[in-house]
Amino acid sequence: MAQNLHEFSLRVKTLFRKRRMDREMADELAFHQAMLKDKLMRQGVAREDADAAARRSFGNASRWHERLRELWQFRGLENLGRDVSFSLRVLRKSPGFTGVALLTLALGVGANTTVFSMINGLLLRPLAVPESGRLAVLGTDSGDPRIVYSFSAPFFRGLERRREVFSQVFAFAHHDMQVRGSSGTQSISGQLVSGDFFNSLETPPLLGRTLTPLDDSKGGNPSGFGVVISEEFWQRWFNRSSNVIGQKIQIDNIIFSVVGVMPKRFIGADPLERPDIFAPLALEPLLDGAHNATDAGIHAGWLTVMGRMKPGVTLEQANAQVAAGTSAVIHSLAVDPSDLARLSKRQMHFTAENGSAGFTYVRMMFSKPLGAVFAMCGGILLLACMNLASLLMARGAARQPELATRLALGATRRRLIQQLLVESLLIALMGTAAGLAVAPAVSKSLTLMLLGGEGEVHVDTSLDIRVFGFAALASVVASLLVGLVPALQATSSSLNEQIKSGQHTTQAQERRRVLPKVMMAGEVALALMLVVGAGLLASSLVRLYLSGTGFDAKGLENISLRLDRRPLQGEALIEFYQRLEDGLRRQPGVTGVSYARIVPFTHDVWDEDLFVGAGKVQDVYFNSVSPDYFKTMRIPLFDGRDFAWSDTTATGLKIILNQAAVKLLFPDRNPLGQFVSKQEGKKTVQYQVVGVVGDAKYEDLRSPAPAGAYLPMTQDDGSQGPSYNAVLRTNGPAGPLADAARSLVMSMDAEIPAPVMTPMSLTIDESLSAERTMAMLAVFFAACALVVTAVGLYGTLAYATARRTSEIGIRMALGARRSQVVRMVFLQNAAVAVTGTAVGLIAALLASRALASFLYGTSTRDPWVFAGSIFALALIASAASLLPALRSARIDPMAAIRCE
Amino acid sequence: MGEIVDTGELIQGTLEMLILKALVRGPLHGYSVAEWIQQTSQQMLKVEEGALYPALHRMELRGLLKSKWGISENNRKAKFYDLTAEGRRRLDAESQRWARLSSAVAFVMQAS
Repeated sequence: MAQNLHEFSLRVKTLFRKRRMDREMADELAFHQAMLKDKLMRQGVAREDADAAARRSFGNASRWHERLRELWQFRGLENLGRDVSFSLRVLRKSPGFTGVALLTLALGVGANTTVFSMINGLLLRPLAVPESGRLAVLGTDSGDPRIVYSFSAPFFRGLERRREVFSQVFAFAHHDMQVRGSSGTQSISGQLVSGDFFNSLETPPLLGRTLTPLDDSKGGNPSGFGVVISEEFWQRWFNRSSNVIGQKIQIDNIIFSVVGVMPKRFIGADPLERPDIFAPLALEPLLDGAHNATDAGIHAGWLTVMGRMKPGVTLEQANAQVAAGTSAVIHSLAVDPSDLARLSKRQMHFTAENGSAGFTYVRMMFSKPLGAVFAMCGGILLLACMNLASLLMARGAARQPELATRLALGATRRRLIQQLLVESLLIALMGTAAGLAVAPAVSKSLTLMLLGGEGEVHVDTSLDIRVFGFAALASVVASLLVGLVPALQATSSSLNEQIKSGQHTTQAQERRRVLPKVMMAGEVALALMLVVGAGLLASSLVRLYLSGTGFDAKGLENISLRLDRRPLQGEALIEFYQRLEDGLRRQPGVTGVSYARIVPFTHDVWDEDLFVGAGKVQDVYFNSVSPDYFKTMRIPLFDGRDFAWSDTTATGLKIILNQAAVKLLFPDRNPLGQFVSKQEGKKTVQYQVVGVVGDAKYEDLRSPAPAGAYLPMTQDDGSQGPSYNAVLRTNGPAGPLADAARSLVMSMDAEIPAPVMTPMSLTIDESLSAERTMAMLAVFFAACALVVTAVGLYGTLAYATARRTSEIGIRMALGARRSQVVRMVFLQNAAVAVTGTAVGLIAALLASRALASFLYGTSTRDPWVFAGSIFALALIASAASLLPALRSARIDPMAAIRCE
Repeated sequence: MGEIVDTGELIQGTLEMLILKALVRGPLHGYSVAEWIQQTSQQMLKVEEGALYPALHRMELRGLLKSKWGISENNRKAKFYDLTAEGRRRLDAESQRWARLSSAVAFVMQAS
């Protein structure tokens, strides 16, 4: 050990004193020569003879010198340098191979890095707050398969007081703030946060102070309502003015004063949000008015609750503690005894889990599809590696004469393998670099696709140490996979034989080689699996779209109107909507206008229990709509009549049912004119059925249309606020219409926030974004897989055929017809493709089950998808094999034989 | 001159032992090391320069020898090698090993 150290330090020293070492060695050898000469002269040899004799006896001085120098060098290091430059030269000499290799690997590594950086941004990246590892997310486990992460205000307040394991427990909820500015009201993304929110996240403000429990006390801070704003908002709204502290801003008609500004890096505890305004949670009743979530008590789950664990407390301890404290929290609630009994009966307990990366709902929605996408990515990387490996193997075979020459010139097998590995490592490094270079842009667009282009969601997919680490790992694994086997293979056969005999003697052995064929077959199998997966997902998506909505989404536009802050109700409100409808109807291209409380597929749900007489209670999905709604939506009216503006409360409550609801409530009679009832507290409300309409889907496309009921908006009791969506049918461009709607609303009431117009088709697309993204990615990956496989099949066959040129020449000279040659070459790959397909088919049948939960109306063994995939693969494989086969048929026998 | 045995043909490691032995009485330059071995072996052992210098340098790298530039007996600049403590220890071990080995070989050869 000490000796090695000594040697190492001497060598390092030499590294820096190369010149001097060289001179000293030369001096030493010269001295020796001089001494030899002296001795000879002393023995009486003439001077000039002595010179020659000394030189003769000494031998080749420069050779000894070289040997000495080698002794003092780091052999490995300098060899490595030589290998790198040699490999670069080799790679540059075959740009076609290098290009294909780089592209393949860049694709594989790039795709993986892209998806990984999304997973990183969504699931792994810790919040940029001190000691994020001590944060925990709280949830409720009610024995359902899924833990619920939304808490009601009373539950949170109960938890907030418990400090056994947490130094603080805090809650937050997204809240769009209607901020009054110089140019009308603007909707600003914000959060309502509890008193300990900022204390827990431990990020000091840029200016002023953060919100405290005093701000979050019931009724608000007695010295005025405070809000904290983001640096970005400070810039946009206050132009970075230093006296922003104490400035007033009006949110939802309530005056707040700015008490602090948070730095840009602070984004709260939801990694996907960028709130501009943080307001105290306790002021929610003031902001949301009559229909606020706080007063809904335990019936509204709307808060995300997190805690900062005390130092030294582990997650397990915290989890056990909150679970044990569940019933204490429930019993501390001031709720109805009946509610309490119901809550106690449910086997629920609180949970705590790692919150270092914050909490976002999107994570739950997308962790599964992202996992599937990641698996597909892994498949692509594996495919790329196998492809490269088989290409390298084929190339190694073609390079055997070169390798043999190098062996003969004294290179060891180790050195050859080292150099070949350096070659593949270089390819891997360059491929990874290319992949990394494009990854951020791709993951950005992927995120947009995945989460919809609303601009409300921010995933930080930028490269960080984790992504780099991942890419480096992928690259190293890839290069080892890619390089080692071919390098061992290429140097394994008796190379001296090669040099002696050229192509012919190794022919038989060459053809017997199975490893490249196994690789290619594996590649075909893997590609088939990816194509089948993509086919299943895509056909499921198509079936979803074709499954029908029950209405005609094409040309439908929804304009969301937010009148919550306006003092309009009853007839005045109806009058406002009628005036707006008249205005909208006059816009060019508009063929129908109506209103609806709930737009389908937006995940807004309003359901009620309905019954007829003493019949069974049925769960029915409700909506409140204006006259003409069915006509605008193109939902067929089968029986009875539509609502009319004259259906006021005075004329008796009316209801329109869809066919599914009729089947449930009136299985054996005509519902027209009959009454359905709803229990409202102690009293029963009755509605008279005036019409029957077609079924339409409500919450999402995947579930069949539920039993539905429609109430006229003219009989709205106002319990859900005054906001409706205008539903328009248009055959003109959307842009001008959106502008017109905005200015129309402005001219009628400047206090109303600018309405947002969304095409129904976009709403549907967004409700399917997870499915769409998965299908699109899967198709993309499958296409990549096909291309990669084709390149691999083509490349290996082309190499193999090139090496058989003279053999083919002889065959043709002996009378083989061109068609026979084509067939011979073509069939070589066909065997590989058929084996691969068979294996891939079995694997795909087994693996496709993993996709079952993502599929709609599609069997995991859909014969059409499987047949289509096999066909696609067969087509690609044939095309890739035909080209080298045709080329081999063009070989001129004479030229081929002569060239040996 | 009788039969000349090239040290290159000697059992590997023997040359190093001879070098160590040559240096035991004080620092020498490479030429004197070769001369000393040749003379002491009564011209039986001839040290090839091509083997001598790599061996010297290797031993220096391993810490058995240390080197210093000095002036030779005929006023030339020369590189002198000297034993390190490690080198002395190695010489002792090698001498014992050699004694055992040669007597063992002698026994075998004298057996009738």
